[in-house]
Amino acid sequence: MSFLTGFFAVFFYVATFIFIAFTGYKIVQYVRTPAPLKIPAMPAPLTQGGVVVRLIKEVVLFYSLFRSNKWIWLFGWVFHFSLFLVLLRHFRYFLDLSNPIWFWVPLIQPFGKYASFTMIIGLTGLLIRRIYVERHKYISSPSDYLHLILLLFIAFSGCMMTFVVHTDIVQLKAFIQGAITFGLTSTGWQPIPASPILFLHLTAVFLLMIVFPFSKLLHAPGVFFSPTRNQVDNAREKRHIAPWAAKLDATRQP
Amino acid sequence: MKTKLFQWRWLLTVGLFISAPTLQADENGLYSPPHAEPEKQVSASQACVKPVPEMRREHMNLILHQRNQTMHHGVRTTDNSLQGCVNCHVTQDDAGEPIDFTNEKHFCNSCHQYAAVTIDCFQCHNSKPTEPVVKGGNQ
Repeated sequence: MSFLTGFFAVFFYVATFIFIAFTGYKIVQYVRTPAPLKIPAMPAPLTQGGVVVRLIKEVVLFYSLFRSNKWIWLFGWVFHFSLFLVLLRHFRYFLDLSNPIWFWVPLIQPFGKYASFTMIIGLTGLLIRRIYVERHKYISSPSDYLHLILLLFIAFSGCMMTFVVHTDIVQLKAFIQGAITFGLTSTGWQPIPASPILFLHLTAVFLLMIVFPFSKLLHAPGVFFSPTRNQVDNAREKRHIAPWAAKLDATRQP
Repeated sequence: MKTKLFQWRWLLTVGLFISAPTLQADENGLYSPPHAEPEKQVSASQACVKPVPEMRREHMNLILHQRNQTMHHGVRTTDNSLQGCVNCHVTQDDAGEPIDFTNEKHFCNSCHQYAAVTIDCFQCHNSKPTEPVVKGGNQ
């Protein structure tokens, strides 16, 4: 047991390091990428506040996908929202719940529980789309299938643990508390519960975290940096000039 | 920069295996949040109606199964009755009064609160023992 505890703790550290460091690196890269042209997709908001509303609509409701294709929106949005609820449910393993500000964590447990079913339905719909819609099959690469299958595997194994083969979750929380504090909590290092399905679940999650910064999963931070969505429609009122172009502008000979 | 990261990872691994033996756990090697210990055993050789690791995973199914047997099929056994759980596991506070499920040291509540699992049993059922609490056990 001690070997598996050490193995999953190191796996967890490596996966988290890669996820945070490389995703952070990609975000820095996105921030630095120049957007030399004013290209908001019309109709676009006229103020900065309008852009915030537009991005929120895009991130929370997948508004442009809704307008372009209803059934893909349905499966895509259902999957993403379910994933959100499921992630909230997993907060309980990382938080000290005796702290009263986390009162909502027990309250959202049942929502996260049933979201695992809608998550599987959404992912299955998206997988069927890639397999049976000819024009989507044509542009699907192996990594597209990999993400869907990994996520389906994560959802399915998690669902199994919730509804069929229970894991000792108190022991799991003790293990995670030990791991995230490097064994410095009052309870120290605790062994991971012996549950094969938990090992598969964690392995799939860590693999997903590792591929995240090197794949199209980067659409999560990337959606905020899309120039067609995050620009204000004020080309007439205010000259759009990239910082590097401004430097050239200042030294330009008349 | 690269060599530095490499050394960190090694330090981490080594630290992990050094600190691993300092585990705090019960005789099954399992952790429980602080709670009042049961004062009886089900028999001289066995702590509970099923082995403890199995109880930790499956107690809710045993209780629900018992409920279905009793309520829906009318088979009224006491093998896995909730009151049986409570009679053994729920102990008294310093004043000698049995503690109820809102107390964070209550046997059920300590883990349920730790893992954010709501108990709805005690909205109807009694969370205090019906038999007098015996100090020292009744093995």
